[in-house]
Amino acid sequence: MSDTVAFDSQRITSRKDPRFEVVMYRHVGVEGAWTLDYYLGHGGYSAARKALTEMTPEEVVQTTIDAGLRGRGGAGFPTGVKWSFMPRPDGRQRFILCNADESEPGSCKDRYVMQDDPHQLIEGMIIGGYAIGATKGIIYIRGEYYQAYERLRAAIGEARERGYLGKGLFGTEFEFDLILHRGAGAYICGEETALMNSFEGLRANPRLKPPFPAQAGVYGLPTTINNVTSLASVVHIINRGADWFSAMGTDDSKGFHHIQLSGTVNRPGIYEVPMGITFREIIYDLGGGPSIPAKAFIPGGTSCPLFPFTDEFLDTPMEYAAVAKKGSMLGTGGLIVIPEEKCIVDAMYNIVRFYAHESCGKCTPCREGVATWMPQIYRKLLEGLGTPHDVQLIEDLAGKIKGTAFCPLADACVVPVQASLKYFREEYDYLAHHGHSKYQKSDWWQE
Amino acid sequence: MKVTVNGVELELKEGTSVIDAVFAAGYDVPYFCSQEYMSPIGACRMCLAKVGAPRKDRASGEWILDEETGKPKIFYFPNLMATCTTTVMEGMVVDTLSEDVVEAQNSMVEFTLINHPLDCPVCDKGGACELQDRAYEYGTGLSRFEFDKRHQEKHAALSELITLDRERCIHCKRCVRYFEEVPGDEVLDFINRGGHTFIGTEGEGLPSNFTGNITDICPVGALLDTTSRFRGRNWEYDHTNTTSMDDASGSALVVDARTGRIERIKSGLNPEVNKTWIDDGTRFGHEYVDAADRIRTPLVRRDGKLTPATWQEAAQFIAERLRGLAGKEVGIALRADSTLEEGVGAKALAAQLGDGKVDHYPRPAASLLDGANRATLEDLAHADAILVVGDPTEEVPIVDLRIKDALKGVSSPELFPHGVPIADLRLKERMPRRTEILTVLAPYRTDLMKYAGSSHVYEAGAEETIFSALQSGNEPQGFEEGFAAQLQQRLAGAKKAVIVYGGNVLASQGASNALLGFARRVGARTMPLPAMANSVGLELTGVLPSHVRYSYPEAVGTELRALIVSNLNPAADSRLVQRLQELELLVVHTMFEDETTHIADVVLPAKSVYERDGTIVNLEGRILPVRSAPVDGGLSEDFTGVVKRLGEALGQRMEGRSIRSARRALKKSLELDLDNLPDEGVLVPFKARARGVSVRQAAAGEGNLLLVPSMIRHEYLSRNPHLLAAHGETPLRLHPDDADRFGVSHGDVVTLPVGGVIRRAVVRVTPGAPVGVPLLASLPDQPAGLVQANFAELRKERLALEVA
Amino acid sequence: MVELDTLQPFFADKQELLDEILGRYPEYGRRSALMPLLWEVQRAERHINDARVEEIAEIVGVHPTEVRGVMSFYSTYHDHPVGRFHLQVCSTLSCSLAGSDELYDHLVEELGIVNGETDGDGYFSLQKVECVGSCTTAPVLQVNDTYYERLSKSRCRQLIASLREGELPEPWHARGGDADAKGGEEQ
Repeated sequence: MSDTVAFDSQRITSRKDPRFEVVMYRHVGVEGAWTLDYYLGHGGYSAARKALTEMTPEEVVQTTIDAGLRGRGGAGFPTGVKWSFMPRPDGRQRFILCNADESEPGSCKDRYVMQDDPHQLIEGMIIGGYAIGATKGIIYIRGEYYQAYERLRAAIGEARERGYLGKGLFGTEFEFDLILHRGAGAYICGEETALMNSFEGLRANPRLKPPFPAQAGVYGLPTTINNVTSLASVVHIINRGADWFSAMGTDDSKGFHHIQLSGTVNRPGIYEVPMGITFREIIYDLGGGPSIPAKAFIPGGTSCPLFPFTDEFLDTPMEYAAVAKKGSMLGTGGLIVIPEEKCIVDAMYNIVRFYAHESCGKCTPCREGVATWMPQIYRKLLEGLGTPHDVQLIEDLAGKIKGTAFCPLADACVVPVQASLKYFREEYDYLAHHGHSKYQKSDWWQE
Repeated sequence: MKVTVNGVELELKEGTSVIDAVFAAGYDVPYFCSQEYMSPIGACRMCLAKVGAPRKDRASGEWILDEETGKPKIFYFPNLMATCTTTVMEGMVVDTLSEDVVEAQNSMVEFTLINHPLDCPVCDKGGACELQDRAYEYGTGLSRFEFDKRHQEKHAALSELITLDRERCIHCKRCVRYFEEVPGDEVLDFINRGGHTFIGTEGEGLPSNFTGNITDICPVGALLDTTSRFRGRNWEYDHTNTTSMDDASGSALVVDARTGRIERIKSGLNPEVNKTWIDDGTRFGHEYVDAADRIRTPLVRRDGKLTPATWQEAAQFIAERLRGLAGKEVGIALRADSTLEEGVGAKALAAQLGDGKVDHYPRPAASLLDGANRATLEDLAHADAILVVGDPTEEVPIVDLRIKDALKGVSSPELFPHGVPIADLRLKERMPRRTEILTVLAPYRTDLMKYAGSSHVYEAGAEETIFSALQSGNEPQGFEEGFAAQLQQRLAGAKKAVIVYGGNVLASQGASNALLGFARRVGARTMPLPAMANSVGLELTGVLPSHVRYSYPEAVGTELRALIVSNLNPAADSRLVQRLQELELLVVHTMFEDETTHIADVVLPAKSVYERDGTIVNLEGRILPVRSAPVDGGLSEDFTGVVKRLGEALGQRMEGRSIRSARRALKKSLELDLDNLPDEGVLVPFKARARGVSVRQAAAGEGNLLLVPSMIRHEYLSRNPHLLAAHGETPLRLHPDDADRFGVSHGDVVTLPVGGVIRRAVVRVTPGAPVGVPLLASLPDQPAGLVQANFAELRKERLALEVA
Repeated sequence: MVELDTLQPFFADKQELLDEILGRYPEYGRRSALMPLLWEVQRAERHINDARVEEIAEIVGVHPTEVRGVMSFYSTYHDHPVGRFHLQVCSTLSCSLAGSDELYDHLVEELGIVNGETDGDGYFSLQKVECVGSCTTAPVLQVNDTYYERLSKSRCRQLIASLREGELPEPWHARGGDADAKGGEEQ
């Protein structure tokens, strides 16, 4: 750690803060970082050793609570608190399940961790398993991530061979092993109960809650589900302590997060940043600013309502509460910059089409509203056949779908639609009146 | 728990769903996906309501109060809640009438209808369609959807019995859930996802015994009973609530008839019996009633030829012949699915003729009334250990379903004033099943074995040996080491053990006694499976010969000089034909021409089971009403009608000459007013009713072919075209070794003398058949059990097409 | 149908693989093997036909309808064979903003097939897919299981040329941000 004198009273909220250090992504991109030797050579498995040999499971849970780590999969639920929901051990098998079905458009932070630094996740799962008393871990990885799957598979094999998975870990009584399970292309599997159904070899429709996974999860047994980078964060929290983690960010949102910057910016990419950083710093200082004039950005993946590209929103700190207060969500941290010349109706159609494609079909408003009706109205508008009535209809349907569906997928589709109407209604109206977009689009495919 | 629904205060049990709370309060909410006796899933989103509840302060544990009213403050959920998947909480407030709820209902109706074809004018469900009703009640009548509706297959034959219109489907998932949750056969599923989701199967047909129920529970016209498709509109049907005479379950049925013809049969509701389910044999096996060759008028043999006659002429003819005979020389036999009233008539006729010999058939060697500690179907559904001996799936299919209830371990729901709970939140999708509580023993592999924690196929005829061993705590021969000990331990250790046993045990008095001994030893209740609908009732009311010598059909071979049979075909047995021909009078009361009508002196047209009024007693001892559907049966009569006509010809007014007169007699013996039986019947205790029964000679456990029970009535199969198409002709199931031995192949149609009866069957080669013991469906005239078949006389009638 | 019936069961000579897959899951979770088994078949045969569906149903102990229901739920299992090179163009927002619409148009012109089609030789299949999780390196083209990220016009031309030669080239590693290639052991 560098000298911290000047900043002692203040939390780290800028990547420019000299105390900030990239930890989780430190070895991502390094050739060969996926081997056990590399990992051990860089302090790997020291956190798991520490947790298992020096801490009780309760202490691990408490440290995670103290650190203030919130789930990085989108909902932002405190990880340690989630762990504490597990019922008392009663002899039944229990599971820690890693949701690696990263599917929210705009998100790809989990892929590189699994692909380049898989032992980090394995270590996180050992610690999580220890914390909740689970001897079995499951990693459900999305089907398209084949390279990550292969690297994880090899890493699990290596870990097993060298005693980092299996019986008597680190000389303790603790036993832990992993099941690596590959999805096959279904966004809905990001919803935890749908994921459990999928893992069990069923259609991935979401299940009724309650019972919650902690009561009846995989195979009806107690289960906790965590995101990849939530689990990997725990490795560093154990290594460096809760205080180190909570020194970053704000009261509401502590630690670091991964911004996945995409869209029309000069330097798209994944950036490990302290919570509380402003969107301006991300887009301008890290991303080099918009490559062509921007008019909006989506703060956390396509299910999060977009923000106009204005000072008010650019200066909002990246924090769960502050973003919520502005009417959106931090989600997975997939930040997408939308250029001026992208017709907002077309951009929303792209998002609506995505959710229409991914609707599981279980409940009526989502199957008929999201998957069937909405995209057709958008197509009609974009084909120049729309009327102002269609814009009203979109608005009305979005309101009717919101809050009535079985799971959050339908809301993920219509809440952004509502935001686009709130901020860019004139683009809808223009399209409805003129039959073509207000903007002329250029060729965005780079030579 | 105190719950307020639209201002109505209610006290409800914990665990009640909000939707049931709403109905209990006398209000209505629409729903499509919820279905009684199945898991609530919250998929259709029709039943949304505004729901709130008070909260307790975490620190003080006191209710948080509303500052203005001083009462507990109601915190409403941020979204409208699906009432079917929400449980009531103390102090909960439910609102189904406010504007946002109405708006949500309107839009759910609109969403549901955007892809629905609205082809109500040509839809069989029209007029009885939940979607139609709910769209009318809760929709705006308008649609803003202006795009093409989804086009999908409109006439997909899921099987020969069920047709699916994929456009009409609203994805409520009732049918898919039904198969997993009720019969446990996952043979139907959603295919694809999102807006492209449809219902489908892989492979041909729906391999389950209970497929037809999905046509009852489909809220729209997507799943239709093929036998009734395009046959009529709902408002044209006469709906008759009655009791099934297809087997001994006493299941509730609704018979829908139009212009004198049965168009379809649906399941009725009897919570303690069949709930709302029936098997496919019961549902689809009614077409024979309207067969073109049905006998619709009395026929009297004159100059060797049967000629049509009036009832009066036929009765006079019979009376004249009877006058010359002594009472003892006349035999009367009813099929065991005759009503109690017909039984009274038969007994009265026998008495009138002077100690005539009366019996019902089939009637097993062992009494159905034996065994003091009898189980009801509810006992079975709540059992924690079950031993099955036989094949209830085929014998009394509802028993199969109630056993599957027990595997779930969820007790039967308490009924609300509005009926069965709409959403019983204890039921879940894909519940774990306690298969370990079920053990199945049978002389061949049965369907139920798939669901059993342990099972064993024993050698046919070994029942007595097995249960004698078990009764004395020994390991029966041929069983796995420790099987008996474990079984005994499980049954004895259970609080509510039930032993279900079928025709194979009942065929032998020794086996039955041994089994009952074993049941006493382990403290289990027992449930014998009768062969036919009223087997119990006819035994209970004593439609029995006074001496074992006079049992039907044995008595035919002795001193009988006249025989009156109802719905039986004694001449099918070639060994009896000569004796029957020698009789001075042979009267047969039946529906179709057969071997017996060919030699009978008088043929009387019989009512089908759907045309009779009367009463039966099911396997539990439940007295149930049977009501006639308006079916055109020509001049047919039930047996009370025969008694009436003969009484008139003989100048006698006999008991049982009508339903009323029979019931007067029954009221005395049963102490029950049968005119006012509730639909769900009255359970009478067995031991009080048991009486001396003439015991048939124990049938020898010998033979080289096993006649097996079937939920399909094979005697009518050729006249049930849809069932025939779905199941094929009566199968002769052979082990591959036996097929080689007899030189027959899969698909060959053969004839085979079986116990004197020439049976026609199609060869089905299956490793599931026991070696050396082919399996053939039993008939009322050939009840289940071992029988001697003459394989030397096996004739191939048609050969299966050789497929390379 | 006849052709399928004469096929050797896929797992008939792969007992070890089958045991390994089934062994991953607890005995009560045998059905979990359903998706991995589908994957094995698809990787080998580029699709999963009816006979394989039945075979897998038998192995897992469910009715084939259940296997079909599951298989059809996911977008990456195919019931018709895809070409030797299955080109999957991500068309969701981030990729669209990086030119995936133009990329798709280019491929249509270049290959003479449109979304959902396979060419006459069974060599190329073209499919528009939804987000594959490569947003910061858009646009992405997934060929079979390999991601080609930041696929510029020139890289695309190179890639197609290699594929035409029958070669699946090593993907390049320009990822941007903290995921970028750090080159060797860095501290």
